[in-house]
Amino acid sequence: MMELSDYEDRLLAGEAGKLKQVAIQNIVRYAAILGARALCEVTKATVFCGAHNYLSACKSEDFDVVFSRMNLASDVVMSFDTTYDNCYIQSCVSPCDQNAYRPFGQSKAFFEKNRHYLDHARKAGVNIVGTCSPYLTGWLPIRGEHFVTTESGVTVIGNAIWGAMGNSDGIEAAFWSAICGRTPRWGNHVNENRAGTHLVQVETPIESILEWDLLGKAVGEKLPTGSVPVVTGKFSKVTFNKLRQMLTALAISSNCEMCHIVGYTPEARSVDDALQGNEPLGSYVIDDSSIEEAYDLVCESEAGSVDFVSLGCPHYDIDQIKKTADYLKGKTIHPDVTFTIWTVYPIKAMADENGYTQIVEDAGGSIYSGTCPGTIGDCFLNQYEAFVFDSLKQAESVRSASGKKVYYGDAYRCIDAAVKGKWAGRYRWKKL
Amino acid sequence: MGGKVQMEKIVIKGRGVIAGIVEGEALVCPKSITGWGGIDPETGIIKEHQNVNKGKSIKLKILVLPGSKGSNGWSCYFGAARVAGAAPKGWIFTKIDSSAGVASAVMKIPTIVDFQDRQDPCKLIKNGDWIRMNGETGEVEISRAPHLLPAKYPLAYQPFQPTVS
Repeated sequence: MMELSDYEDRLLAGEAGKLKQVAIQNIVRYAAILGARALCEVTKATVFCGAHNYLSACKSEDFDVVFSRMNLASDVVMSFDTTYDNCYIQSCVSPCDQNAYRPFGQSKAFFEKNRHYLDHARKAGVNIVGTCSPYLTGWLPIRGEHFVTTESGVTVIGNAIWGAMGNSDGIEAAFWSAICGRTPRWGNHVNENRAGTHLVQVETPIESILEWDLLGKAVGEKLPTGSVPVVTGKFSKVTFNKLRQMLTALAISSNCEMCHIVGYTPEARSVDDALQGNEPLGSYVIDDSSIEEAYDLVCESEAGSVDFVSLGCPHYDIDQIKKTADYLKGKTIHPDVTFTIWTVYPIKAMADENGYTQIVEDAGGSIYSGTCPGTIGDCFLNQYEAFVFDSLKQAESVRSASGKKVYYGDAYRCIDAAVKGKWAGRYRWKKL
Repeated sequence: MGGKVQMEKIVIKGRGVIAGIVEGEALVCPKSITGWGGIDPETGIIKEHQNVNKGKSIKLKILVLPGSKGSNGWSCYFGAARVAGAAPKGWIFTKIDSSAGVASAVMKIPTIVDFQDRQDPCKLIKNGDWIRMNGETGEVEISRAPHLLPAKYPLAYQPFQPTVS
């Protein structure tokens, strides 16, 4: 039997309108499926706004019809016109850049349709931001704060690095929570469920951001479903960007939502701390071969010509753009290569202000904001034959979706490939 | 000759979370289906390159999965399949997780979850088995022609008595 507060009962009774009533009905149904007995208040949310490709299954041009059927799972059409006042809500990536549409094979009509969808969300109370990295614009849930997000990497980053509380949920449920301000008190929203379940001993040095990315994949490949890894190793020079890269790769390689990295994440001051006194259910070792196998699974083995190079998954911060511009200065991108960097609009504005955008454009590249190649989809990806990414997530998803050649490596080697128009054998990652 | 093929039948039981009695052919993905683009919502056909059932459709099947996998966009592709008329008849999860929970809340098709270790549906059910599932009681009846069974039943095929949870 579920215990509901007076506020939740009033919403269920329809006292706050049809939209909030349907949202909380869905949350209560979701809670019952999970076996939750209560709900908790959500004060940070990212939601998936825009005219995303999968929405075309609805076969309607009417925003309210699409939103009701796809996001509310309701055949009764209603307007998305309100959200929960006490929640900081911002949009995740949309399928369009802030300004450009032609380079992606998109029509002006589609670009405007996307804008129209975003306008609806803005009027309902969503800050239109357009990033998979909401922390770059100040969306930062603190320890114990309940959040929902549509970005799988952010689920793990939020739980692991900040000690905030969130589950993967799904795109629809993030909207329900943003509208009614509630999510089931279940999974990572309950302290004892955050305890580590499996030990992961890393016995190889993990140093570069690429190696952290690979570590995420290597751990994800070994984990049983629903587990919480406790990762130990002799790490040094750990940064937020290395951790976010690792946790993003981990999230897409498993259904992991929480990960302890002993000595670095706040609920893992020690192995015992992370396990909360429980015995581990299993243990794994990550060695050189685990990391090499992870790399070989993602990067094409034979050298070859390339025509698309992309940096910035998750979205680059300003310093990553600076470092890229520094390296690119004076170089010229090969004429057959499209070279792109992906970030969020305020970071792009800072790149403009600092002159980094000019350097990238002078070299023949572009900085885009609010989206990424995988989110734009086939209209963009179908223009190219051989891809280069500095991100495991982007590399894997494009390879899975297109079956085309995908190279994956250190950002500087990706830039080298963009300049040469070729991926050379020496660009491959190797353990030093 | 021409008589009915005798079917072997076993029954397992999980937690029924969305009511309804349906029956149909099983499609089992022991490593789940990846989120965000794992299926074509218009047809229900599995697109994921590494999936053992790539090219097969979830439409009108009884879909059997360990849980979700990958993107927080897991539920929306199944939701899109529901809207496009390509949903499974019912589905079964070895262990519920939040993404599978949202997908179930969206699909509103008979759903059974949380099986005991010895009754893992991903191990017991094979593609092509005929499944009758009761989303209220949590009972899953698995029928299979005897010639499809292994010569000697491994432990996993011992008939089970439904357990009361």
